[in-house]
Amino acid sequence: MSDATGIIERPAPLASRGRAPSRRRPKAVGGHHRNIGGVWPVLVLFLPPALVLFTLFVILPMGEAAWYSLFDWSGYGAPEDFVGLKNFETLWRNGAFRTALTNNGLIILVSLAIQLPLALWLATLVSHRIPGATAFRLVFFLPYVLADVAAGLIWRFIYDGDYGLVASLASLVGIATPYVLADRDYAIYAVLAVVVWKYFGFHMMLFIAGLQSIDKSLYEAADLDGATPWQKFRTITLPLLSPTIRLSVFFSVIGSLQLFDMIMPLTGGGPSNSTQTMVTFLYTYGVTRMKVGFGSAIGVVLFLICVTLAFSYRRVFMRHD
Amino acid sequence: MASIALNDVRKFFGHHPVLHGISLEIRDGEFVILVGPSGCGKSTLLRMLAGLEDVSEGEISIGGRVVNDMAPKERDIAMVFQNYALYPHMTVADNMAFSLRLAGAPKAQKQAAVARAAEILDLSHLLDRFPRELSGGQRQRVAMGRAIVRDPAVFLFDEPLSNLDAKLRVAMRTEIKALHQRLKTTMVYVTHDQIEAMTMADRIVVMNGGRVEQVGRPLDLYDKPANLFVAAFIGSPAMNLLHGEAVAAPGGTAFRAKGGGLLPLPADRGVQPGTPLVYGVRPEHIELAASAACDTEAQIAVVEPTGSETQVFMTLGSDSLVGVFRERVADEPGSTLRLRIDPARVHLFEPSTGARIDAAAASTSPIREAVLA
Repeated sequence: MSDATGIIERPAPLASRGRAPSRRRPKAVGGHHRNIGGVWPVLVLFLPPALVLFTLFVILPMGEAAWYSLFDWSGYGAPEDFVGLKNFETLWRNGAFRTALTNNGLIILVSLAIQLPLALWLATLVSHRIPGATAFRLVFFLPYVLADVAAGLIWRFIYDGDYGLVASLASLVGIATPYVLADRDYAIYAVLAVVVWKYFGFHMMLFIAGLQSIDKSLYEAADLDGATPWQKFRTITLPLLSPTIRLSVFFSVIGSLQLFDMIMPLTGGGPSNSTQTMVTFLYTYGVTRMKVGFGSAIGVVLFLICVTLAFSYRRVFMRHD
Repeated sequence: MASIALNDVRKFFGHHPVLHGISLEIRDGEFVILVGPSGCGKSTLLRMLAGLEDVSEGEISIGGRVVNDMAPKERDIAMVFQNYALYPHMTVADNMAFSLRLAGAPKAQKQAAVARAAEILDLSHLLDRFPRELSGGQRQRVAMGRAIVRDPAVFLFDEPLSNLDAKLRVAMRTEIKALHQRLKTTMVYVTHDQIEAMTMADRIVVMNGGRVEQVGRPLDLYDKPANLFVAAFIGSPAMNLLHGEAVAAPGGTAFRAKGGGLLPLPADRGVQPGTPLVYGVRPEHIELAASAACDTEAQIAVVEPTGSETQVFMTLGSDSLVGVFRERVADEPGSTLRLRIDPARVHLFEPSTGARIDAAAASTSPIREAVLA
């Protein structure tokens, strides 16, 4: 477009129009006003729908939850019994909640220490264009495609001490059948195994995509430079895959904190709350017991943990990604 | 430094042959360029030398050692890749020192080797930068620096200038040639650009379809192309190649192109009238002539002045002809140009095999007059 000054400008890319006038654009006479004139119609057209939806379905429920957390309220009628921070105090003194917090921490730890390295190792194996690699990728990815509830049910049958696969294997080798899901000391480890099985395929696919974006000639150059396979992995693969690894860790941590669907059919948080996570605890104690105020307090704590972790992680580890 | 010997080297991708028995001797310290069109197998051959591709059949020796089954790192070679293959997460210094770091060399040795290579390539001020912060030419030099640090017996270059703009390519050409003159190390260089090959090589290997068409010094290939492929490939603009036959003319034989043009034939080739021929003449060997000394006349189609010379696309009968003249051609398209061709600079080829027809016996009888008669 051109104006009276004779300055000709190309229209800015759409993505840049919503921002303040770019520093790269020359501040020609009248250019600033023209830019603002271009931004407003876009703002008016595109911002309100997003803002309305975000407010209705995110901001308002969050605000409501925070408000309800200050009441002793069953969900019927209007919340009237204002208790201040008592729900939070009760929550903190609740042993099951502390177990849920610990379990969430354990799930994060296992995801980072076992699930991601396993996914990376398998990704390095199946990322090459070798016969059968696609079939293996599919097999490894299949658990992730399964619905969480279905996966939980399947593993409940597998772990079943009377009719399950574990029972069959135990009788095959002649040992006493372990009832792993009924044992409060071991049930969480059974859950952790399922978590690893269920989600490593997703991370493996992320890593495969990352590995395939690494220029093969770098490995050839490293071959000529005399690198061993381990040296190539350590000095080329790991550094160049680090953005993908950081993303994978992010998904893993946030996913671990939100774990719910798979645990409910598997253990329901039991036995004796030993496999509760924060979300199953919220559901069990907040929803099924009709303690909406208490449940809201759990939701607020969970939200704060998630937001703090997510923002700090992105700020510290992903600021260049 | 080391010599290289290829003995009947073949390569198959699956059942598909891509190299059909390459035999070649590269002398110690020689700068040899493999040149050919895309898909001719030159890069594959270079990668086989580097150990990045297996040798299906035949034998490759470097420095007298058969290296067929040796890992790349054991071959004492360094390679500069087409895309440079610089490690993006390492600084220039780290890139260059990477091989020494892997070998566990002491810090002082690494620093000395990097400093020497950086000094040779004028990279000393860029050592702390990352590849993404460098221009194409600088990256190219870092890739060469990484090779120099290894102090290899053989340097391999895989189309290293193809990602650079024309001006930088010319500058880097000179740098690489100067580098060879300084290091005197055996270099094998792959390119599809015959100008690069002509300007840099001690010897050129022209490849086509997985075979070696001709090996020789640049000017030998230019002056005496062994066949039609080499004739058409070497030289820019490409040699004019006209199909036709020898015809009897007063005073000897002449060449009549299928398009109708009549051109002088060298008398020393012993070509009999009626012999089918491919007639080759380089654009720069066609001269503008005064009417009295004219061999043939052609109509101007397009005139492309470049300043130092003028490239003229012409029609001779129904054939096309290109001429490059030092003179400035002011004539308009459609007008007639009188041309003179020195028969001694004419190349003749057999149409069926494409093989060059060399002088049968010393004879210098001019036929220009006969053609003009």
